[in-house]
Amino acid sequence: MTDPLAPSPLMAMLRYGLLSVLAFCVAAPLAWLCLASLSPQSEIFQPVSDFSWSGLIPSRLTLENYRALMQTDFPMAAKNSAIVALATVVCGLVVNAMAGFAFAAFDFRGKTLLFVLVVASFMMPFEAIVLPLYVMIRAFGWVNSYQALIVPEIANGMIIFLFRQFFASIPKDYYEAARIDGASWGYIFLRIALPLSWPTVATASLMLFLAQWDSFFWPVVAASDPDYAVIQVAIARNINFEQTNWGGLFSSTNLAIVLGTIPFLLTQRLYVRSLVAGGIK
Amino acid sequence: MNYSRWTPFLFLAPALAGLAVFRFAPIVVAGAGSFSGMTLTGALEFAGLENYRWLLTDPAFWDSLRITLIFNLIINPLQLALAFLLAMLIFQPGRGIWVYRTLLVLPMAVSTGLSAVLFKLVLDPNLGPLNGILEWAGIGAQPFYRAAEQAMGTLIGIATWKGAGYWMLFLLAGLHAIPASVQEAAMIDGATPWQRFRLVTLPLMRRPMAFVLVADTAINFLFFAPVYILTGGGPNGATSVLMFEAYRSAFTFSDIGRALAISSFLLAILAVIIVLEFRLMRSPEDRR
Repeated sequence: MTDPLAPSPLMAMLRYGLLSVLAFCVAAPLAWLCLASLSPQSEIFQPVSDFSWSGLIPSRLTLENYRALMQTDFPMAAKNSAIVALATVVCGLVVNAMAGFAFAAFDFRGKTLLFVLVVASFMMPFEAIVLPLYVMIRAFGWVNSYQALIVPEIANGMIIFLFRQFFASIPKDYYEAARIDGASWGYIFLRIALPLSWPTVATASLMLFLAQWDSFFWPVVAASDPDYAVIQVAIARNINFEQTNWGGLFSSTNLAIVLGTIPFLLTQRLYVRSLVAGGIK
Repeated sequence: MNYSRWTPFLFLAPALAGLAVFRFAPIVVAGAGSFSGMTLTGALEFAGLENYRWLLTDPAFWDSLRITLIFNLIINPLQLALAFLLAMLIFQPGRGIWVYRTLLVLPMAVSTGLSAVLFKLVLDPNLGPLNGILEWAGIGAQPFYRAAEQAMGTLIGIATWKGAGYWMLFLLAGLHAIPASVQEAAMIDGATPWQRFRLVTLPLMRRPMAFVLVADTAINFLFFAPVYILTGGGPNGATSVLMFEAYRSAFTFSDIGRALAISSFLLAILAVIIVLEFRLMRSPEDRR
């Protein structure tokens, strides 16, 4: 007997047909960018008037556009992005895990209010405060510096929330036993709680990394100087100039997308689970 | 358990200090700064309600507000509807579904800035492949972001390309939370698939859908990067949303007071949205 909940063959065909069309629309621009970045400079674009489908497939695959990147501002921008992202991940993990631990392990006055403020801080999109924050950073004398890009992004309500959820799932007896054995709270946090939380550490690292790797509005405002331009800013700048180096633009854009996508695909399950849990639970 | 009164605050201090200075202080700065003006020497001085008086009599601000509202009235229901369609299509297990699921969420790993760059290339009027395809199909090349009538639609399309898969994930979680027994009971009572969808699925999805709508609105009220990269607010001011208007006040016209007044206005709208979100996130049982 067939499963009564199973759809009819016609419905299944309709479903897969529709999904294929939608998935094609989503993936085609990315696939085109990737292929074009691997084709010889002269084949990247074809004039609209003599378009042909076969022209979308490069005659040969080459890395020449990627090699040419070394002579552009891309290595500098990639270095800036890497410095900013790594510093944010390292500092952000320590600072936010500590706060998450405090919310999970201790009872103290004002805990509920403080936690509501933490949650509110990540429900407010960062873009909303970019301009007043710029006024502050300018008063600090931080415009065009690494600290302008790193320091404001370290404390992160979403990451605090994730760590709190995890640490709250560890029975308090665990900490209690360690206390009786004479361990300090610093030791309990570093040697007991943090090692147990490695899945959260992995997700949080990825989220902090992507937040920096992908950020655009704040770097444009706070550090637009070429010496401090991160990848997103450098690429956007290149497309706004009268463009001749198409190969460089395609390969740098594709590289920036791929470097952001690989960590996402690797940790997709963990990432999506915590994201949705944060939003709906 | 034994710990001193100060232990919790030692653990909290760095993070709370960071949030206080870099998330909450800017709100105060926006509010306070919106009552000040920049003198010719570059110093800030108190200007009372001057910035707001200017703003409310400035047609550019009203245009920008109108554009932002229209943008949101279209894009948020559109993204919700598409995300819901995708979630319904992906929800039932099936052969190869995970491939579609991965492809559909892929754009969420592409930053907003890079998706704008990507589509600037795809839609290029002379060399872009989409216009080539449209010519080939006999429809003819379109100006897209270069024409006032099409620019807003183009931006909505790009943002939806990036956003639909992301919001689908939240709705999928909502679909998974509907107990299978509820659907089976409806089956036994002889409900058709359409009736099951309309009378069981849809009412039970109200909360996740409301959450997506509200959270999406919060993000789209602050839409910026694609405007900056693709249109610069044009053509003819057609895409000058509020966030871009605020940016331009600060960096093109050096009018920090106006920029902060618009920021304060946006923050007030966001405050309302966040309160709504908090109410949606509380479970129905503890809502009185």
